[in-house]
Amino acid sequence: MKYFEDIKAGDVAELPARHVSEADIIDFATKYDPQTFHTDPEAAKQTAFGGLAASGWHTNALLISMLVERFRTEAIAATGSPGVESCRWLIPVRPGDTLTGQQEVLETWPSKSKPIGFVRSRTDLRNQHGEIVMTTVGLGMVARRPEAAA
Amino acid sequence: MNDTTPTTAMTGKPVYFEDFEIGQTREFGAYPVTEEEVVAFGRQFDPQPFHIHKEAAAGTMFGGLIASGWHTCGMMMRMVCDDGLPRTAVLASPGFENLKWLRPVRPGDVLSVRSVVAEKIESKSKPDRGIIKIANTVLNQAGETVMTITNIAFYRRRPTDADG
Repeated sequence: MKYFEDIKAGDVAELPARHVSEADIIDFATKYDPQTFHTDPEAAKQTAFGGLAASGWHTNALLISMLVERFRTEAIAATGSPGVESCRWLIPVRPGDTLTGQQEVLETWPSKSKPIGFVRSRTDLRNQHGEIVMTTVGLGMVARRPEAAA
Repeated sequence: MNDTTPTTAMTGKPVYFEDFEIGQTREFGAYPVTEEEVVAFGRQFDPQPFHIHKEAAAGTMFGGLIASGWHTCGMMMRMVCDDGLPRTAVLASPGFENLKWLRPVRPGDVLSVRSVVAEKIESKSKPDRGIIKIANTVLNQAGETVMTITNIAFYRRRPTDADG
């Protein structure tokens, strides 16, 4: 198991890929972001996006699925997140895109009141052309190694 | 609370950049959070035990099943859309700032949104649009703040030949 003590500023991790289909985009947006440019491929052509684009919230949902998969494969004792300080949707995510991610740890500090530590990271998601579609800086919480927390 | 943020539902006219004023406040939405939806979202995107397993969640620091924070964002966005956003002159969003998940969202909660216009920025490079920042607070049925976020959006400016 990887604990807070095993994570250092400057650590860089590659995140697993996610493919985005037109059906995925429409399904998410129909539930959570029903705007024409996210739900209607024809009408979307007349909007600022010039065609169907994924909801930015969908892109963040895909990012958390990448992160949770990484927590699992690398056995990281993640315990959630208190928030995200900034997120920029730089270019649209389109049907057929495959997203990959890179996360860099910016700083870490232990909680004073709980047996966890905070990890502040920047994450860039890229499409299959290598373009950054989203960049975000947020906080994660990771359990402290049991003996260190005692 | 005065609902003063303009929407087409209220005015029957498109809402442009010029129609926003700092401090305009609006409360809307009543989104019932169900266990079924919490678990479905969790399974699809955020399969951590506290989002998908009732029994396993009971043993975590959250003491029971809670919605993914990204599900809460989705529920907020759905309320914003149902409130009339798609019928405004909104172009797109470049992102958000200061997202904080302050309290767990649990099955049985009913969420609402309080929106306050926080900032207006005229675009220097694109005179047809401006940036609006809106401070959104997501509340539960007890009036407790579960999430805060500053949403950012590009709005079209009112065409010079448009009459109000």
